Amino acid sequence: MNILELQNVTISFGGLTAVDKLDIQVKSGEILSLIGPNGAGKSTVFNLITGLYKPSDGAILFQSEALTGSPPYRIAKKGITRTFQSIRLFSELSVLHNVLIGTHVLGQAGLFHSIIRSPLMHSEEKELREKAMAALDFLGLADKEHEKAKNLSYGEQRRLEIARALVSNPKILLLDEPAAGMNPFEKTVLMDIIRKIRDTGVTIFLVEHDMTLVMGISERIVVLDYGKKIAEGSPVKIRQNDSVIEAYLGSGQFRSRIRRKETGAC
Amino acid sequence: MRNIKNNWLVQVIGFVLVLIMTGLTAQGLSRIMPPYYLQIGFFIGINVIMALGLNLIAGATGQLSLGHSAFMSIGAYASAIATVTLHLPFPVGILLGGLAACLFGIVIGFPTLRLSGDYLAIATLGFAEIVRVIFTNMQITGGAIGFLGIKNLTTFPVIMILTVAMIAVMMWLENSRNGRAMLAVREDEIAAESVGVNITWYKIQAFAIGSFCAGVGGALFAHTTTFIQPTDFGFMKSIEFLNMVVLGGLGSIPGTIIGSVVLTTAPEFLRFMANYRMLVYGLLLIIMMIFRPHGLLGGFNFRQAISRALFLGRRIRQGAKV
Repeated sequence: MNILELQNVTISFGGLTAVDKLDIQVKSGEILSLIGPNGAGKSTVFNLITGLYKPSDGAILFQSEALTGSPPYRIAKKGITRTFQSIRLFSELSVLHNVLIGTHVLGQAGLFHSIIRSPLMHSEEKELREKAMAALDFLGLADKEHEKAKNLSYGEQRRLEIARALVSNPKILLLDEPAAGMNPFEKTVLMDIIRKIRDTGVTIFLVEHDMTLVMGISERIVVLDYGKKIAEGSPVKIRQNDSVIEAYLGSGQFRSRIRRKETGAC
Repeated sequence: MRNIKNNWLVQVIGFVLVLIMTGLTAQGLSRIMPPYYLQIGFFIGINVIMALGLNLIAGATGQLSLGHSAFMSIGAYASAIATVTLHLPFPVGILLGGLAACLFGIVIGFPTLRLSGDYLAIATLGFAEIVRVIFTNMQITGGAIGFLGIKNLTTFPVIMILTVAMIAVMMWLENSRNGRAMLAVREDEIAAESVGVNITWYKIQAFAIGSFCAGVGGALFAHTTTFIQPTDFGFMKSIEFLNMVVLGGLGSIPGTIIGSVVLTTAPEFLRFMANYRMLVYGLLLIIMMIFRPHGLLGGFNFRQAISRALFLGRRIRQGAKV
């Protein structure tokens, strides 16, 4: 069963085609990684899925339903949440508030209920707070609930972003370079967390540069280069794939593109 | 005990009792206070209501609006027309003033709230100027001569009850799903959208409520001064309200209240300096911004401060070094 499907998705900015006729199927309940050299268009794929960019061509289906053209907040409501490569927290607000905002789509109480502070709003608020605390607990941030988000360490901020995305019970979680800037120990913890999240039934779609993490937890890997899919398969297969090796390390032949030589190993 | 505390009806009755107490206290004060001080009290109330409205727009939701006085003028004129021309009772006039301003807030909000930052500021500034020019040229508002013959219907209890009610509503709103969504819009629009917050909807909501407050403030102002003219609601008036919010601390409700009280009373305290008082007033603002750029209470969280103090007490008892 495919939970998310990209069909022939293309986007160009001016003359640059950032993503070119891309087909990706994300199977329900799997951990799928999207890798590729810098500037391959990985984050652009995430921005397309979450509605920040509109594809120039092609369709994105979520549970066989077209997402193309929906605004980002509606896509989040359907059960697709994400983290960002450059951390985007509500930095002046407390850790608990960050996660509470993450529960936004679960709540119903509108302006009227908020102003008259109705019983419905009270019980809902209690429920959301419990959910938020459970999510913080899950990511080991429960003791920081009153801290301002900007005062957390880098690794904690990354985890808080995951908590905020996870608290609304999404069906698929998009993680954009979650291990960036983490030390080896934090990476091991993160791998554990990602596996645990998947075991609760959430599909994980991951963009990552860190090969230990990618090779350690992915069930399938899609490799992107210059906006095109160049390989797809299990970690073992990808490691031995010639075109992937060429994209990362160059072919050693004069015909290979100079840029690829400079990219180096990731 | 907990059940009683959480019962909605008990809370509502408690709130009504607080309002009645406020009204009675204000009634008592209005008997014993000299008229000059009472008048300052009137303006403190009006300015708190106005500034709280702007705080929701600029402080909580982060939309810089320079047209707050325009909404005030709409409320003032609408309520004046209601009570003088249409002979409606004063409470209906206040409500109509608020609703008229709210309506304009929504109508203006839709096209302009797609803009952000400086562009939104310029657009709201332009709107405020348009409103002022229209009021100067309209027959029903008395044009440039001003609107004459408004009865002095505002009383101190009415102002204080409305002020307390407004403060309560703002605090409730801040601690709700709605209020948090507004804060999220201020902090990071893209992140807010990615967790399902419809940012346009919450911006318009903030604008509508903020304009409603301004309209109510305008209605009270019109029935306090009994005479309004378009120049009462110029650009400087908008800046004055922005000063109150920024001085107190953008986004902080206690800060906004303190800012309004300080800036309403400051020119009165400085009256002995005669012509130099506005100079000192300006100087105060500059010094303030240098030493506390986030405002008097900016970034200060009452609940957190209290819980921290308690926590610290516990740690000291346990023998920890501070």
